[in-house]
Amino acid sequence: MANVIVNRIIDFLKKYPPFSFLSSELLGQVAAEVDLLYFEKEEFLFQKGEPAKSYFFVVKEGAIKLTDKAAGVEETVEFCDEGDVFGVLALLVKRPYILNARANEPSLIIAVPVGIFEKILNENSQVSLYFASGFASGQVVVRSGLSQTQQVRDLLGRKPDENGLMLLSGQRTLQYSHPVVQCPVGTSVFKAVTQMSKASVGSIMVVDENQHPKGIITDKDLRNRLIAKGLSYDTPVEAIMSQPVVTASKELEFSDVYLNMVKHRLHHLVFTEDGSPDSPLLGIISDHDILLSQGNSPAVLIKALQESEDIHEMAKLRNQAEGMLKYYLENELSIDFIAGILTEINDTIIRSAIRLALTKLQPSFPEVQELDFCFLGLGSEGRGEQLLRTDLDNALVYQDVPEHLQEKAQSFMHLLSRDVLDVLFACGFHSCPAEMMANNPQWCQPLSQWKRYFSQWIREPNPRSLMMGTIFFDFRAVAGKHSLADALTQHVYEEIRQEKVFLNFFAKNALLNPPPLGFFRNFMVEKSGEHAEKFDIKLRAMMPLADAARVLILSHQVVGINNTFKRYEKLAELEPNQASLFKDAGKAYEIFMRIRALEGLANESSGRFIQPDSLGKLQRQLLKNAFFPIDEIQKILKVRFQLDYFGN
Amino acid sequence: MDLRALFGFASLPKPDFISAYEKSLERKIPKRKPLSEVAFLVLDTETTGLDVKKDHVLSYGSIQVLHNRIRISSSKEFYLKPKKRNREAIKVHGLVQVRPYVSRERVIRTFLEDTRHKVLVGHHIGFDLAMLERIGKSLGLRKIKNPALDTYDLAVRLDRGRYYDPHTVPSKEYSLDHLCERYAISLDDRHTAAGDAFLTAQLLVKLLKVAEAKGIKTYGDLLG
Repeated sequence: MANVIVNRIIDFLKKYPPFSFLSSELLGQVAAEVDLLYFEKEEFLFQKGEPAKSYFFVVKEGAIKLTDKAAGVEETVEFCDEGDVFGVLALLVKRPYILNARANEPSLIIAVPVGIFEKILNENSQVSLYFASGFASGQVVVRSGLSQTQQVRDLLGRKPDENGLMLLSGQRTLQYSHPVVQCPVGTSVFKAVTQMSKASVGSIMVVDENQHPKGIITDKDLRNRLIAKGLSYDTPVEAIMSQPVVTASKELEFSDVYLNMVKHRLHHLVFTEDGSPDSPLLGIISDHDILLSQGNSPAVLIKALQESEDIHEMAKLRNQAEGMLKYYLENELSIDFIAGILTEINDTIIRSAIRLALTKLQPSFPEVQELDFCFLGLGSEGRGEQLLRTDLDNALVYQDVPEHLQEKAQSFMHLLSRDVLDVLFACGFHSCPAEMMANNPQWCQPLSQWKRYFSQWIREPNPRSLMMGTIFFDFRAVAGKHSLADALTQHVYEEIRQEKVFLNFFAKNALLNPPPLGFFRNFMVEKSGEHAEKFDIKLRAMMPLADAARVLILSHQVVGINNTFKRYEKLAELEPNQASLFKDAGKAYEIFMRIRALEGLANESSGRFIQPDSLGKLQRQLLKNAFFPIDEIQKILKVRFQLDYFGN
Repeated sequence: MDLRALFGFASLPKPDFISAYEKSLERKIPKRKPLSEVAFLVLDTETTGLDVKKDHVLSYGSIQVLHNRIRISSSKEFYLKPKKRNREAIKVHGLVQVRPYVSRERVIRTFLEDTRHKVLVGHHIGFDLAMLERIGKSLGLRKIKNPALDTYDLAVRLDRGRYYDPHTVPSKEYSLDHLCERYAISLDDRHTAAGDAFLTAQLLVKLLKVAEAKGIKTYGDLLG
């Protein structure tokens, strides 16, 4: 019975969350109950301290500013434009308004009565989550809110029928082969093969009397260990089986299993009742199974990259990885997982490049060809957070050599680095404008020189040192002898122990970029002008969090955690009383990484500069909410490192 | 003495809803009442033409404005079954789809119920009221006596002051289309009765703000 007027309201509301989550029936009920109000510029809708009205508001036309009076000056806290919802908090917690609401321009406002609002909350869990998570305007996100916010966005962002090619995100539960083709220990190979052939499978599990998995025989084992060795078909299976098998619990998330297999290059993963090898067999999953479920499998990509001898082919494979990245991002896979896969792919390219370079160069450097070296990723590469092929930051450290070999070693390592970098450039990575790359002789040095570099940065914390610190302190061993990198880490911590004041400088440096809380305000103010400025998500949102995480993790002397979001996870563990804030900061960082990567893919850019209006309403709110932990984290740095009193 | 009764022309007994309406008219809106407290019924009709004597109402739409709030829940939209000879006109208005038609009585009954103690508002409201009176005549409705506010007149008055020479007004500039454009109201559902009533309601709340700024603050200032 909706008439054209109600339909007009429906057509408007359905474009915006949370109304977009409502069934058309419920939306119709809501639309039929609302009032429309008109406010002239500067007119108040409500004022701070007034008891909550019996409705909340949605901007239909115009813009509303939420203001607060601090020290007698009315300051705009937030702008609400078309489709924004506000005045909710007071309704939810039944207390007076904490802000003023004023028309910033002539505005038409929809008032949604509380009665129908409560009905929505009861009947639609998405909407109640939406409000509970602080998506509406004028609501400061509660501390524990951000991880929930993230969940909500996952929930809200995904359309239920969007299954089509859903590979991983749709596949939260494991789909392993069951029942498994198996035979007991002691079976002859002939019998086992007959079974395999009958079931037309390429592998068979060997189990003991308790059904515990003991080993696996694949076509390859038959070829290499039986036929090639000239053994009889009566050989018992245990003589040629591959063992031990890698087992996992069926409780694992698909993405974890997947990452596990990719990282450890497993062909098969066996599931048992409790996840250990000493428990009954449940099922098996092969990389082939995954391949079948994956049009574009990272396992396949990584394998191909490992085996590639051709720089053009590697470039092609790396391009393919970009498509995969896009798919993962669009399907809301966890950033942890996505970053893990991409880092593995990038690392594999470097390893393959090193292998190729060594084969080529070693004959020319017989005296130093066995030299230990370690290729280090720096900056975002070092943190394992490089999703897009942005600027490269890397370095090379090699073993100290006797003086007479120094020159030889130097030129060998330099040529090696140069070859590796050439492969990376061919694969579409960009050169670091500051040339912080291994092919720069300055950053291709023996261990002793690296120790001197770090000592100098730590002992003389001038702006340049601190800038170097933000990049070099995140080094991570990508290829070669990890012990060289470990020795360097050791050295860094010893130096910091002696030179404690360095961390104060480092912390101060981490505050250089204040959080962009005014982002949406400024954006709104300038929307009609020509200053529709872009937002530098790297400088204003990601660097403050990454810098803070680095300082804090250094102050805890934690080794080996480089991901910013994993650093925050660790910090949450180390400091339980700040756990929720650190978790929020980690989530915020993941959100920024995702938004940046999506922006970069969409515009074939570094994704660093975000055009606010290109973001959907939900994303803008998410982004805005993600800014809050930055401010809080910076406050912690200020207090902890006494930065207000610390030399200017 | 009732002459009509004397000559045997007594009309049929009035339906209750008409008596109730007429009774409601006894209570007048006080002149001092602030504009924000005046209740309005904004309405529009779509008709087969502009001749009050010959043409017919095809649809009726209305919405109430109370305390400066457009009450979506009060919105009404009715379609009356057109007579066969009016099919051509229907094409002009684009009302071709089959509607759930309602009776004339239903329209008048609802209108009279909604209209109690309200100021009637429309763009060229006089025409709409004349058409409604035509429908209501056979039901015993004699005259719609509510105070009426024409948004055309109000818009002109706000530009030219209370006393202006109607002949000098460029009437095109005060058409609903022009005024909506001028007051930034998007022309949705134009030329449906309910759609136009909704546009007129939005125009009304905006004009009332302008009026208040110009010192028109009470019911008496507006219509007295």
